Amino acid sequence: MSDGSRGPVGEESRSGEHSDGGRVAAGWHRLRDRLERRALATASAATVAVLLVVFYYPVGTVLVESVVVNGAVTLAVFAEVVRDPFYTGEFARLFAGEGPLAVARAFLGPERRLGIVGFTAYQAALSTLVSVALGVPGAYLLARFEFPGRRTLRSLTIVPFVLPSIMVAVGFVAAFGRTGTLNTVLAAVGLGPVELMFTLEAILIAHAFYNAPLVARVTTAAWESVDASAVETARSLGAGPFQAFRHVVAPQVYPAVLLGAALTFVFTFGTFPIVLALGGFELATVEVFVYRLARDLNYAEAAALAVLELLISLSVLAAYLRYEASHTVTSRGVRPLPRRPLRLPELTARELLPRLGLGVYALVAALVFLVPIASMLFASVTGGDGALTLDHYRFLLERQRTGAAFQVRPWPAVRNSLVFAAASALVALPMGVVVAVVTTRRYRGRALVGAVAMAPFAVSGILVGLGLLRGLVFGVEIAGWRIAVAGSAAIVAAHAVAGYPFVVRTVAPGLESLDRSLVESARALGASRARVLRDVELPLVWPGVVAGAAFAVAISMGEFTATVVLATGADAYTMPVAIERFIGRRLGPATAMGVVLLVVTGLSFVVIERLGGEYDGI
Amino acid sequence: MTDETDPTSRRYTRRGVLALGGAAGAAGLAGCSATPSDGGTGSDGENGDATPTLTVATYESFIDAPSVSPGEWVKTEFESRVDAELEWATPDNEVNYYVERATSGAPIDADLYVGLTTEDLVRVDETVDDDLFAAAGEVDGADTVRDGLRFDPFDRAVPFDTGYVSLVYDGTETTAPETFAGLLEDGHTGDLIAQNPGGSATGRAFLLHTVSRFGDGEAIEGDDGDADYDYLDYWAELQANDVRVLGSWEDAYSAWSGDEAPMVVSYSTDQVFADMEDANLEEHQIRFLNDQAYATPEGMAVFADADEPDLAREFMSFLLEPDVQGEIAERNVAFPATDAAELPDGYADLAKTPAEAVTFNYDELQGSLDGWISEWERQFAGN
Repeated sequence: MSDGSRGPVGEESRSGEHSDGGRVAAGWHRLRDRLERRALATASAATVAVLLVVFYYPVGTVLVESVVVNGAVTLAVFAEVVRDPFYTGEFARLFAGEGPLAVARAFLGPERRLGIVGFTAYQAALSTLVSVALGVPGAYLLARFEFPGRRTLRSLTIVPFVLPSIMVAVGFVAAFGRTGTLNTVLAAVGLGPVELMFTLEAILIAHAFYNAPLVARVTTAAWESVDASAVETARSLGAGPFQAFRHVVAPQVYPAVLLGAALTFVFTFGTFPIVLALGGFELATVEVFVYRLARDLNYAEAAALAVLELLISLSVLAAYLRYEASHTVTSRGVRPLPRRPLRLPELTARELLPRLGLGVYALVAALVFLVPIASMLFASVTGGDGALTLDHYRFLLERQRTGAAFQVRPWPAVRNSLVFAAASALVALPMGVVVAVVTTRRYRGRALVGAVAMAPFAVSGILVGLGLLRGLVFGVEIAGWRIAVAGSAAIVAAHAVAGYPFVVRTVAPGLESLDRSLVESARALGASRARVLRDVELPLVWPGVVAGAAFAVAISMGEFTATVVLATGADAYTMPVAIERFIGRRLGPATAMGVVLLVVTGLSFVVIERLGGEYDGI
Repeated sequence: MTDETDPTSRRYTRRGVLALGGAAGAAGLAGCSATPSDGGTGSDGENGDATPTLTVATYESFIDAPSVSPGEWVKTEFESRVDAELEWATPDNEVNYYVERATSGAPIDADLYVGLTTEDLVRVDETVDDDLFAAAGEVDGADTVRDGLRFDPFDRAVPFDTGYVSLVYDGTETTAPETFAGLLEDGHTGDLIAQNPGGSATGRAFLLHTVSRFGDGEAIEGDDGDADYDYLDYWAELQANDVRVLGSWEDAYSAWSGDEAPMVVSYSTDQVFADMEDANLEEHQIRFLNDQAYATPEGMAVFADADEPDLAREFMSFLLEPDVQGEIAERNVAFPATDAAELPDGYADLAKTPAEAVTFNYDELQGSLDGWISEWERQFAGN
């Protein structure tokens, strides 16, 4: 950000010191002021440029195919899709001209059809409920209690987020399959067996595996930002602990829970490989058809479905943003609530009940999160004959040593993943902060701008990949030159675009809730807008910044589609790409690489949050 | 792109690196390139004496699979026989990548494609107006390709190997039925895992096999001889008997390996892999339903815009030579396309061949394939 200009100019002023120190210093101050004043505008312009080049333009080239067929603008394809009961179920009647009452009656009837879009929304809504139910208690535990390993545990909650679906599928079969861990344990106590695989429930649990940690993380960040003095004031005015929670804490935590819920809905609405791996084709979602249609080069219909998908996801995000804007609680700063020890201090119902509840929660969480991950670890050290072996890790070493130049090797994958993750976080942070600043100003249509800025979350991943191929890898023809973008820089930019909405969403609510008088007094004292942001606002919302950075890194570590499209050279592949490459008839080698991804990601997050966490509570 | 840094590249003669103004952090880094859009194809003659480079596009597992893949051997062997350098290209979208390039007006940056299926060709021809591939022309050995495998009526694609899609079952858990009808029996409820025909090659082959067996009620008359019972009727019964249709072959095979069901749709070469891993072959039994299997021949074809068309044809001849045919089949764990192939003793014991191979040719697939799949989707996922 604005810091970038300090180094070289500083040296210049030193070299000019003996001629006329004072004047140069004054000039430097003026220059710095001017730079700072322009910093926000420049950063905004750069953000818009990156978004246009790496997202809106490429994606636009694909989505436009839903309305431009053979060079003519038409809504026919779109109309056909929404009128098709296979996709839209009973809603198709609405588009076919029947009244809303008739549609409502059809929905209540026994023969109701949800359609693929309806079913996708239905499973996304259920996934959201399960994820919130599993995420919020986790946030409660992490934000309100102190126990050994709390910070590490908190850091590790990001790990599920980066795992490729094939790894999760391996873990789930081993954990919840016919002969899996769950059924073995149930059989030992004379229960079971539970037939969980290939059901809607399996999909919901897998979605919770990915998204409950997300809900927990955003909620934890919000909970930790609750100002203790506000609670103390309420208590001193005679409010009981529950009243203080309801009127002071909860209003600041709700928006985060809803944010987690909205994001979970959007992510699970666009779900794809996991549904077919754990559910089966009976439970196919919209994205399954987008994939098939795009693969068969039927872009018009694929794009029409993706637009429908996008409209629904953006509506959910916009609805959330409207809620967020109208439920801002102003705070003056952050002195976090003190954490309570997890160990029971005294035997009273008030102390015992929450801890009992957390105990039950820990059991469920262990089953949903730990058992699949442990099964994955176990699969990576199990051979074809069921005996323990290190063969799969030996394969990784062997591939590293003897792999041909055109083959994927483990170490470059690890190195690229780390470099891309760090670089894309550095790009995503300023982008996110700038957009957060822009969308927390008050003007009409702010929710719309906010929703559009979050579009990278809502557009079909398959079509983003296709768009990047067309828009960037193939390039555009300008004045007889074909300009193409690919390779590492493009991957970093694409990862940053995919991750920056997280930064926006974790930073914006904090900025919004800051007391405006803080900013105004700083401005009155002559500080530029950028300086106020850097020196006053960002330190106050630092937990949000760190949370956003963590998500940006996680997105980059787990990203696959954009990476394979843009890694046109042999050397720009990442860990998820290596995992995909190592998938063979036996999943051992891929699982071993999956464990490498898990360990590298886990360690990175422990480090990131240790570094970021020092700012806690400023 | 690999030729980005390759000074001998003939395709792009001038290169510049443009910085994207103000694109925070992304700017100025290598990766943004500008090339004259006429392509500058080899007209400069600046590399006249240098070793020519042949760019061979293929699917990833041909050059990079965790078990075995032919890529490295093919490159070394070809370079030792021909004065040329072989460069692999494995775009993620496979042949669709080149279709995309062609329809976007971007130059085709490879000389030939290895691994074309009949469905690929149908799709390419439906989408690309001009020819993406050139006629095979003079390719030594093309006449040795077995008749049943030639799938391109326009003689562009030359088959170089084939696979057979069959059932693989765990003989310690069940005995697979011998016919399609047997899969509907109560004893096999929930026993079979198949794949999404819209997203997986094996799933597609299995669906096509049922179309061939039961007909589609219109153009295709099924082998079962019953005009009133088509493949959708069969699938309705199969679904009622709890068949699992998962996404990819990997999904299905790993669920099968995890004992979720005793039968899976896979390739008839399964025992070759099982033998490599010293697994119990009893758990890797092959069943050809009605003594048939769906053949999935793979072809190779020269791009119409190839920079090195002659070298590309030389490569095609190379792949058809008897010793190379044997190596490819073994390393790609498939079957040779020619009768003259030299295979190691015992290969046929593990890699099973059906009594009768079934496959739809180009003309049968054209205009029908999309409909077969989408009607199946609508029946199977209708909710």
